[in-house]
Amino acid sequence: MSRLPGYWGSVLEVDLSTGRTGRREIPAADYEQFIGGRGLGMKLLWDLLPEPGADPLGPDNPLLFMPGPFAGFPLPSASRTCVVTKSPITAPVASPHRHASTVSYSNMGGFIGPEIRFAGYDGILVRGRAAAPVYLYVDDDRVEIRDAGKYWGMGTDAFDRAFTAALGDRRFRTCYIGPAGENLVPYASVINTAARAAGRAGTGCVMGAKNLKAVAVRGSRQPDVAAHKRFLEALDKARAGFHGTPGTENWRRYGTGSALVASSDNGTQAVRNFREGTFEHIERIGGLAARRAVWQRDFACYACPLACKKAGRVADGPYPGLVHDGPEYETGTMLGANLLIGDLGGVQRAIRHADDLGLDIISVGGVIGFLMEAYERGCIDRDALDGLDLAWGNVDATVELLHRIAHREGVGDAAARGVRHLAGRMGRETAKFAIHSKGHGFAAWNVHVQPGYGVSYATSNRGACHLNGFTPDRQNGTALVDSVGVCLFARGGYAAGLVEQVLESISGRGWVDSDYVAAGERVFNLEKCFNYREGFRRADDSIPDRFFEEPLTMGPRKGAVVARDAWDRLMAEYYAKRDWDPATTRPADAKLQALGLEFARAKLPA
Amino acid sequence: MSASEPSPGPLTALDLRGGVRADRRTFIRLAAWSGAGLAVGHCGVRALWAQGPAQRPVYAMILVDYNRCTGCRTCETACAQFNHPVTVDGEELRGLGNPYLSNIRVHAFNPDADVPVVCVMCRDNPCVAACPVEPDAEGRRALYRDPELLTVRNDPSRCIACGACAEACRTQRVGAIIPNRETNRPERMCTLCGGDPQCVALCPYGALSYIKGGLDGRHYALPPERIAVELIARWYGPTQGGDVR
Repeated sequence: MSRLPGYWGSVLEVDLSTGRTGRREIPAADYEQFIGGRGLGMKLLWDLLPEPGADPLGPDNPLLFMPGPFAGFPLPSASRTCVVTKSPITAPVASPHRHASTVSYSNMGGFIGPEIRFAGYDGILVRGRAAAPVYLYVDDDRVEIRDAGKYWGMGTDAFDRAFTAALGDRRFRTCYIGPAGENLVPYASVINTAARAAGRAGTGCVMGAKNLKAVAVRGSRQPDVAAHKRFLEALDKARAGFHGTPGTENWRRYGTGSALVASSDNGTQAVRNFREGTFEHIERIGGLAARRAVWQRDFACYACPLACKKAGRVADGPYPGLVHDGPEYETGTMLGANLLIGDLGGVQRAIRHADDLGLDIISVGGVIGFLMEAYERGCIDRDALDGLDLAWGNVDATVELLHRIAHREGVGDAAARGVRHLAGRMGRETAKFAIHSKGHGFAAWNVHVQPGYGVSYATSNRGACHLNGFTPDRQNGTALVDSVGVCLFARGGYAAGLVEQVLESISGRGWVDSDYVAAGERVFNLEKCFNYREGFRRADDSIPDRFFEEPLTMGPRKGAVVARDAWDRLMAEYYAKRDWDPATTRPADAKLQALGLEFARAKLPA
Repeated sequence: MSASEPSPGPLTALDLRGGVRADRRTFIRLAAWSGAGLAVGHCGVRALWAQGPAQRPVYAMILVDYNRCTGCRTCETACAQFNHPVTVDGEELRGLGNPYLSNIRVHAFNPDADVPVVCVMCRDNPCVAACPVEPDAEGRRALYRDPELLTVRNDPSRCIACGACAEACRTQRVGAIIPNRETNRPERMCTLCGGDPQCVALCPYGALSYIKGGLDGRHYALPPERIAVELIARWYGPTQGGDVR
């Protein structure tokens, strides 16, 4: 088999059930069609799960750690690692398949993606399930499945330190789960460096189901490139493109935290369980306040000039000396504004605890917001909450609930199953404010003012996702960026056409514009085919009634609400543009054929 | 030629050490004498040495400002690209920047602190002193100082791969020298990229400076673990990671 330059030609395959490890060859055509990262991960998932309805927590569900082809080269901000699997949190309204769920993908920054490539692999595929807790040890060609019994139950922060010390070399890069993943919370995250997360879509839950506490990787090699000189030219261009721009300056100063106040001012923030778009106390927890009172240092992922990661320390208040990252836009909103917590120390306390437990902060912020609203409305009483006074803004109750969710104690066990499950137990009237799509909670961008976010949530292939994009074009572009491994925050730093140039110089394959766009569309449609085969249909592409029935009551965008007819038009346009059947959402045969997805079409129900 | 000025108020191992103020004073005096205030740069140092009886090589080193380092490891890629070039169609080009090969290595800690480690060009060079190979006619052991840049170099034809130099650096200084995994010969000694250090040129955050003259790297030579402990104490206060005090 001829190997494509820029790739190793295989992923590391580990079967935790049998203990077998080895290489799984990837056909050159798969690299050409699906590139890497999210795309190649999706192709592998498709190949490994030939039938719908596989149990996401069963040994058959593959768990993939997928860097892109840019990883391992000094390209700016191109170190993302996409974790791909079948989702443990989503489900269709109706399906003949018992364990029907969507694809799951979630990417994280840091250093482990490049390290996987340095070790000589284009990704890591984990199959099966270990009989007892283990971790995966990878040092170039030396691959071992090792006992992790003594680490089971540890929070991510303490584990990070203990694990690095035990490995004995800081050149090992690691990722791991916390108690939430171990206890199979369906929205558990995969964490690295004690703060970076592949947070969304339940990747940590699948890792926990495999009894896999951690992955440690160290490598000494590097892939080659097809056109060395052209690669260097493109690299220099990319490096220069970030230098001294206002965008770079803003990322360094505030990270995504700059959006906290801006979004609130625009009425686009998730506030009070998405009931409002503006938080009156946002200035107290926004980027300026955090820069002044909490953020001590800025940190960057591999070869990234943006340093959007903010390491903080709470100086005073009830939590003095608390050290952790944040707030970012998502974490500060979901565990701040959305719960009406307007105290920076309190927000930091909650963020720190959620990361330590390995919980997806976006999802869990939505769950707690839902419960706070249900409590206020009397849909659940204090007894049912095991005595927790879950009033808006209560930091201590929030922190306690985080703990109970991760350990699945009492009400935490029900809350661990997500807002859709809770609403199902509490009754019909609560479904209106159970904020999810396909069972996956919304992120921190509210919908009333920007129905485009509704489209992004409703049509995302992993269930609600704010990064998905408002339009098919944007969504295809995002799928591409996720496949190459460039950080979405850095997308603007690469000049038009530069990503294609880099890819061309690495793989030696010509990437004209249309081809490049088509690859993103191909990835998105294969994900869609997977979901369609599982039983997801038009009714699953929805957003809760709240956004149609309850206009914002405060803030500069008071009165904003989504009109149903406008929404229906948006969705109709969407399916038309996609060339998907507007009644069923099934991709048209011609579309699949044009994208080279004939193999997927053959597996779809009529 | 990029001889940068030291960044304003860099937090260095010298500050952390606390007890070696004499050398800092010397440094400042030298700087003042050179007539350019802070600029212990190219011109200043030239002028300085021009007053001496003869042209002598100038000690130079990479100085790290820990307050600016974000741990991105661009320096590692820049170093590896320059020091491990490849020949393509008969043309020598920068390499692809495999950080495993880099002479500067960023150590990451939790709570977040990143400590780049690179040879600090100690004048008393315990690494060279530890080399057991008999000096040759020019007085050189297998490990020796480059006559031009005063960087530490290894002569593989005479090296006996005993590892004494790496051990000396690790136990007495920063641990910059790492024996090759296969040959056990010393590697990762900073080359200063022939006088234009690429880590300094490409650091996106201005965390690295190229300092010529006056300094003795020995006074910056602390192991990364010790530097990290002090940085963490300075930035995050008395804390056990994320635990509440």
